[in-house]
Amino acid sequence: MTNYKIIFTGPVGAGKTTAISSICDRPPVSTDKIASDMTRAVKKTTTVACDYGTVRLNGGDCLHLYGTPGQERFDFMWDILVSGGIGLVLLLDNTRPNPFQDMDFFLDQFQDFINQTQIAIGVTQMDRKSAPCIDDYHNHLSKQGLTIPIFDVDARKRQDVSLLIKALLFSLDPGLIENND
Amino acid sequence: MDNHTRPVKIAALGMEQRTYSTLQLFFHEHCKDSYVLVEENSADISIIDMDGFQAHRMLEEHKKHYPNQPSILISLSHDKAYDAVYIRKPIMLEALSSALLKAKERLQQPVAKVPAPEVPTVGIAPQLQIVASNPETVTPLLLNNVVHNPHKIARQEKPASKHFNQYRYSANFLTEDADLEHINTKLAENFNPDNPIQIAKFQYQPEQTLQGYFQQAYFTALQKQQNVLLKGVWRPITILHESKQLRVEKNFRHLYALSGMLFDKSNVSITVLDNNVDCEPGLHETVLPAEPFLWKLAMRTSRGRVPANTNFTAPIKLIRWPNFTRTIITPHALRIAALWARQPTSLMDTASYLAVPLQHVFMFYTAAVSLNFVAPVITEENHSTTALPPVKRHRYRKIFQNLLERLRNN
Repeated sequence: MTNYKIIFTGPVGAGKTTAISSICDRPPVSTDKIASDMTRAVKKTTTVACDYGTVRLNGGDCLHLYGTPGQERFDFMWDILVSGGIGLVLLLDNTRPNPFQDMDFFLDQFQDFINQTQIAIGVTQMDRKSAPCIDDYHNHLSKQGLTIPIFDVDARKRQDVSLLIKALLFSLDPGLIENND
Repeated sequence: MDNHTRPVKIAALGMEQRTYSTLQLFFHEHCKDSYVLVEENSADISIIDMDGFQAHRMLEEHKKHYPNQPSILISLSHDKAYDAVYIRKPIMLEALSSALLKAKERLQQPVAKVPAPEVPTVGIAPQLQIVASNPETVTPLLLNNVVHNPHKIARQEKPASKHFNQYRYSANFLTEDADLEHINTKLAENFNPDNPIQIAKFQYQPEQTLQGYFQQAYFTALQKQQNVLLKGVWRPITILHESKQLRVEKNFRHLYALSGMLFDKSNVSITVLDNNVDCEPGLHETVLPAEPFLWKLAMRTSRGRVPANTNFTAPIKLIRWPNFTRTIITPHALRIAALWARQPTSLMDTASYLAVPLQHVFMFYTAAVSLNFVAPVITEENHSTTALPPVKRHRYRKIFQNLLERLRNN
């Protein structure tokens, strides 16, 4: 059996734990703790180590889904988490004060990993705050010469998360065949 | 036949539900029920849309079974290969009335009797284009009386044969959120981009369609950073630049049915509004996101074609990914987008490299180019087709394939 992994990252409250839960086989193992600092203003618990879920594949292979802790102070975990990863899913919370700053931060932090693999970005909470819109994200990225799949995502919806992963996979290998076409 | 005692029975073949219902209303309101729509095996006259994918086969079948039944053939082309009354699209009321009279005259002529078979044949329904130089002339027929729920009507009807089921399915796909995968992709199998006749067949002029006018109004709003009012293609449509939305009547779905119509530009106006003008939606209005609306409209209008002057051999690059979670995903769209993001590739090479039908590439391109999500990379070298360096197969392709399958099953 071979193991592969996709990394979910993003700021606190962006929906990483929810997104992993929506597509993995079983409820993910979560290392959420009661938040005791500024994070508490956003949500009651936060992930301090990582979220972890699996998707069993044909042939006995297994895909591991890892969510990074949302708090920057735990960034020492990230290198360990991304090691051997096949791609990155970045989730951004549109209600945060400066989601572009968040995006730039994570793109910068994971730059080496992204260069070796690919990235897909999901923007959550757009139903609560519609600005900036997806177009604004693209405009921001285009200034850096980047063309990245960015979708409006509801992390609770399997279909949305699934589409993000598909975009990631096709970005890695456009020659893949989609059997439902 | 005695016209005073019973209405003339008409079979409408190869038509989608909305067109069928429009004809029904036309016969009722404009012809005072002197015509009535019936099944093929009990009809006096048939009206057949010849622009469908299997229209010619359907007509041959029909003629074989009902050789004496006068036919009215409607088509975009000038081709008059059959002994029938022809109406060229766009269908004008006068032309339809006149054709019905001609067919009635033929009906009254003595003919040799040939027994009709028991099982009638109905083919796949294409989308009927009802085009008017002046939109006002079609408003009473097409807009005020369209079917509000084609699914509901289809359920009320009793299918006459397995072919009728096929027709109903086709009607649904053309009138609701379309599964446009059913566009006949075989048509472009031997497409040659150097053949002007074939090029003409797969190109269309969006300028005078709703798509063209909406596109113009939308980009005017974005460029000027002001709201814009589009009038003359249906009810007024207001484009709200800040939220990238449109304000339109709640029954906006009728707009998609107008995608095939041409509107005279002298009847259409695009007005830049003062930003102080109140654009709150009224009681009978709603607000929609503009991008998915234009995306869908372009898909409907193109029906697997590309805008005129499209360069089939220039590499296409992806400028930005469509927001696929909130727009219709055309067949193979993710793969095409990923390829163009990674390596600009011509329409022809894309179909070849990804081994997908060319019309699926056309469909994605047309929708994407309407929103400026893609653009050709024009250089002196790519005026002719160049060999495409293949995108490297990923070492984990097998596992990715497995994962895709798993996601699909989920």
